[in-house]
Amino acid sequence: MPDYAHPDVLVSTAWVAEHLTDPTVRIVESDEDRALYTQGHIPGAVEIDWQVDLQNQVVRDYIDRTAFERLCADRGISNDTTVVFYGDKNNWWACYAFWVFKLYGHRDCRVMNGGRKRWDLDGRAWSNDRVTPPRGHYTAAEQDGSIRALRDEVLKHQRAGKPLLDVRSPEEYRGERMHMPDYPNEGAVRGGHIPGARNVPWPMNCNEDGTFKSAKELEKLYVKELQMKRRSPTVAYCRIGERSSLTWFVLKYLLGFGNVKNYDGSWLEWGNSVGMPIVKGDAPSQPSP
Amino acid sequence: MSGADARLAAIIGEFADLDSREKLELLLDFAAGLPPLPPEYEGRKRVEDRRVHECQTPVFLWAERRGETAMLVAEVAPEAPTVKGFVAILADAINGRPVSEAAAIPDDILERMGLADVLGILRARGLRAILARVKRELAAA
Repeated sequence: MPDYAHPDVLVSTAWVAEHLTDPTVRIVESDEDRALYTQGHIPGAVEIDWQVDLQNQVVRDYIDRTAFERLCADRGISNDTTVVFYGDKNNWWACYAFWVFKLYGHRDCRVMNGGRKRWDLDGRAWSNDRVTPPRGHYTAAEQDGSIRALRDEVLKHQRAGKPLLDVRSPEEYRGERMHMPDYPNEGAVRGGHIPGARNVPWPMNCNEDGTFKSAKELEKLYVKELQMKRRSPTVAYCRIGERSSLTWFVLKYLLGFGNVKNYDGSWLEWGNSVGMPIVKGDAPSQPSP
Repeated sequence: MSGADARLAAIIGEFADLDSREKLELLLDFAAGLPPLPPEYEGRKRVEDRRVHECQTPVFLWAERRGETAMLVAEVAPEAPTVKGFVAILADAINGRPVSEAAAIPDDILERMGLADVLGILRARGLRAILARVKRELAAA
């Protein structure tokens, strides 16, 4: 059976259970619902919250390099620590946090396959202890632009007809799902997708138990059916960049795509910006008149 | 202050004094106390559009009038304890109280509890959407 391109980045719940007290390993939980960590986390795991910890609370962006260094030191993470991410929702936010750590050049990042769901299914213990690890020492690198796509770059990419993946639900892709009556400031003002983007909803990457699909299944989907090329520069996006960080992880680490970026501005930026090209409906591009 | 006002003020006061971790713990206590969906709502869940679409996790909500009093009934998936806790707080404050009192729940309740900063901008917005929906449905009932 073919293996993942970078099998080391994925660890099992058994591996994590064996490394709970390993001082070279730090387990990090990142959830959509952060009360889950408070309710019960893997013993010794620290929490890094995508909204409160990883996002800049003033500018719409990630925390800067200095804040990232502070965060790591505070969570007991040093440059040589093996950081294992896990969380709820099939590891969406775990992949998001993984991506931010790669953005600042952290060397050894891994994901616990299956996240909270698999840990639970395996009958492993939860803890609600307050975790206070010894401080780490951290020096972050400059942001790695090779994994992050900014809006104007995506526009160029789109104009050049290069591969784009929209990983949202088909309703969002078609531009039907726009009625969010109580979200006047969060919803995008236009619905649809970036011209040329193929719709591959993120759940297609995952099994029922929250683990990733096998290398063979992923290869069949992306390489055989969608005919995507490992060497083509590829950009993935969703609504706010979380679901697409999961697809980014799958393409880059599980399938070995050499040049794949996450467009974290995603639909909330594209659909709100003036003059961006948009297509509605099922077809990736507007049919020629 | 009386009724829902007083009840809410007490809850807000309780939250306001806690640190972040304790706030989340108290929210979890409320979540654990949300009663299960009464059986008569199980069938309605399938036929009525009661899903709160603003939420990413399954949340079914009924804000109803029982004579002059308000009744909030909800089912929230266990994997969304934050939403569940917030809905439980609202139910605690308004159930059995005059409908007019529900309308008076402050829109900045999360800020007053000190939960807005703990949860972040997007999550707080999602919870505010639930409060808005409860108020809107009670006003229309």
